[in-house]
Amino acid sequence: MTGALDLFINNPAVILTVGALMCLAIPRHLASPILLIATAISAVKLYTLGLGNYGAVSLFGETLTTVRLDPLSRIFAVVFHIAAALNIIYAWGQRDRAQNFATLAYPAAALGGVLAGDMITLFFWWEMAAITSVFLVWAPGTRVTYLSGMRYLSIQILSGVLLLGGIVLTFRETGTLDFNFIGLRDDNGAIKFSALVMFLAFGIKSAFPLLHNWVQDAYPKSTITGAIILSIFTTKLAVYSLARAFPGTIELVYIGAVMTIFPIFFALIENDLRKVLTYSINNQVGFMVVAIGFGAINGAAGYAFGNIIFEGLLFMALGAAMYRTGTSKATELGGLYKTMPLTMGLCIVGALSISAFPGTLGFVTKGLIIDAAGEAHMFWIWLTLLFASAGVLEHAGIKIPYFTFFAHDSGKRPKEAPIGMMIAMGASAAMCLGLGFFPEPLYALMPDQAAIAGYHPYSAYHIVEQLQLLLWAVLAFAVLILLKWYPAEVPSTNLDTDWFWRIPGRELLGWVTGASRATWIALWGIFSGRVQALMERIYAVHGPEGQMARSWPIGFMALWTAILLGLVLFLSFLA
Amino acid sequence: MSSDHHNHHDEGWADKKAFRNAFLGVLIIASIAAAIAGFIPAFQKEHPHFAVEGWGVFFAVWGFAAFMFIVLAGQHLRKLVGRKEGYYEERE
Repeated sequence: MTGALDLFINNPAVILTVGALMCLAIPRHLASPILLIATAISAVKLYTLGLGNYGAVSLFGETLTTVRLDPLSRIFAVVFHIAAALNIIYAWGQRDRAQNFATLAYPAAALGGVLAGDMITLFFWWEMAAITSVFLVWAPGTRVTYLSGMRYLSIQILSGVLLLGGIVLTFRETGTLDFNFIGLRDDNGAIKFSALVMFLAFGIKSAFPLLHNWVQDAYPKSTITGAIILSIFTTKLAVYSLARAFPGTIELVYIGAVMTIFPIFFALIENDLRKVLTYSINNQVGFMVVAIGFGAINGAAGYAFGNIIFEGLLFMALGAAMYRTGTSKATELGGLYKTMPLTMGLCIVGALSISAFPGTLGFVTKGLIIDAAGEAHMFWIWLTLLFASAGVLEHAGIKIPYFTFFAHDSGKRPKEAPIGMMIAMGASAAMCLGLGFFPEPLYALMPDQAAIAGYHPYSAYHIVEQLQLLLWAVLAFAVLILLKWYPAEVPSTNLDTDWFWRIPGRELLGWVTGASRATWIALWGIFSGRVQALMERIYAVHGPEGQMARSWPIGFMALWTAILLGLVLFLSFLA
Repeated sequence: MSSDHHNHHDEGWADKKAFRNAFLGVLIIASIAAAIAGFIPAFQKEHPHFAVEGWGVFFAVWGFAAFMFIVLAGQHLRKLVGRKEGYYEERE
């Protein structure tokens, strides 16, 4: 009993889950305070636990470690708590029970995943994250969001199935369920099939190239608060999993580099600014994946921490504009700075931070990744990351604030964001600048303390090279605007990889379903015809008019009895 | 969703020509200063990983060129993948 109690009270993820479940039972107006209190209790528990393993459970002779708090899981757990608290404050007063539940149950699942010390516990929370998050996609309650949620759920469950398969295969090979370094290749350099399956599972949730489009399909269709929450947890849980299991996997460098590049171009032509930010998620996770490929775990974890704060801030600022105007489309926004100056200012802080201007959280974390490429002497990757940095400036640093608050005047004059939103955005902006100027508390959380000890972000050359890159990129933007070469925003739908499963895939599914149905009807027709014929024959023999239903004469029965007795006598004689 | 729509587009501080010129002026001066700083030995990397890091203005040139390329080349992607709004909704 004590063991079971320990299992629950020592797991911050369980505390958050209990808080989320309470929202389903208590009056709606108490939901936000309860969610915040649960987050605070969970954070205190995380702090008091200290590094170590907790919540050991025996299952089929194997010991599962439901909570492992080490430097890598700690930094993710800390930022997940910060993000959960900010989201609750941002959505303060939200009455929708399903959304309130998911607001904490989903971060709880992601937190449970990063704290999992074994693969079974990871799988459990992995699936919980998929199931709880889909409520946020469905929250608007339209047919479009229903279909999007179903697609999202299918892909997330596919990732879970692959993870389970990978776990089984890995367990068969290694004999352990512990979730530690796996590595993609064996000692001979050959790719391990078991590892490849897990790699793919993590790749789907990290939104690897060609597997990325579930993010754009689902996240922008959610509610204002739902999109913010969704933007944070799933991909970062996947980044954590890759950092745990596949650090130093060189393939990740190339995959990550592609991830940093292609979303830039889709973001450029996208009119829905929330969708622009989802492409930004792909791009940002790409930087983290590159870092993992180099084995630069500080870069991956630090940038994940930073990204959750500044990308969250951009989502929040855009969400505030959407809350007041009812749209997130660039063609319908613009000129909001006149009546939403505070939101605009906070948005610009997020934009500066994601662009990694000196003095921001982005600057003190992104440098770790660019430096890793330099130290690995991979010139083209290094150049690609610099190119992608200019791209980040374009779509997240300039496009989001410019088209929301400036650009052409939409004529809309909305009020400032509500107080809850302002507090959450203000706190995020304070962290962007505070940790940007004084990164020591963040660096103290870094998983590899030996590596971070010698890192000084504010070296003269680092500041100069970053300022050159960014200022000249802004100058390019100014030139393009002055020459009127910057493309106007156009209301449109831009096809991406989701086209394959939404159009031909859907038609193929329809054809397969139709063919299956026709085949089934044909087979059933043949089967039922045969059964019908058999039944008719049985009826003909055994029915009221059948031969077997006739009453037999006594003499006929006596004859048969004599034959049978004679047969028995003959057999006895033979025996 | 409270939003007040005004038909007249009153001029804000960011719309004023003086502000735009001042912003552009500061940007140009800061950009040139950053480029010049790249030639000052105290602002250069002691042990550069790549030769280009020693060129002084490499990051300025790369930042400008990358941004230009992304916008000027990237906008043509719209011709390939752009469809009218509601493309999927009409088919689902």
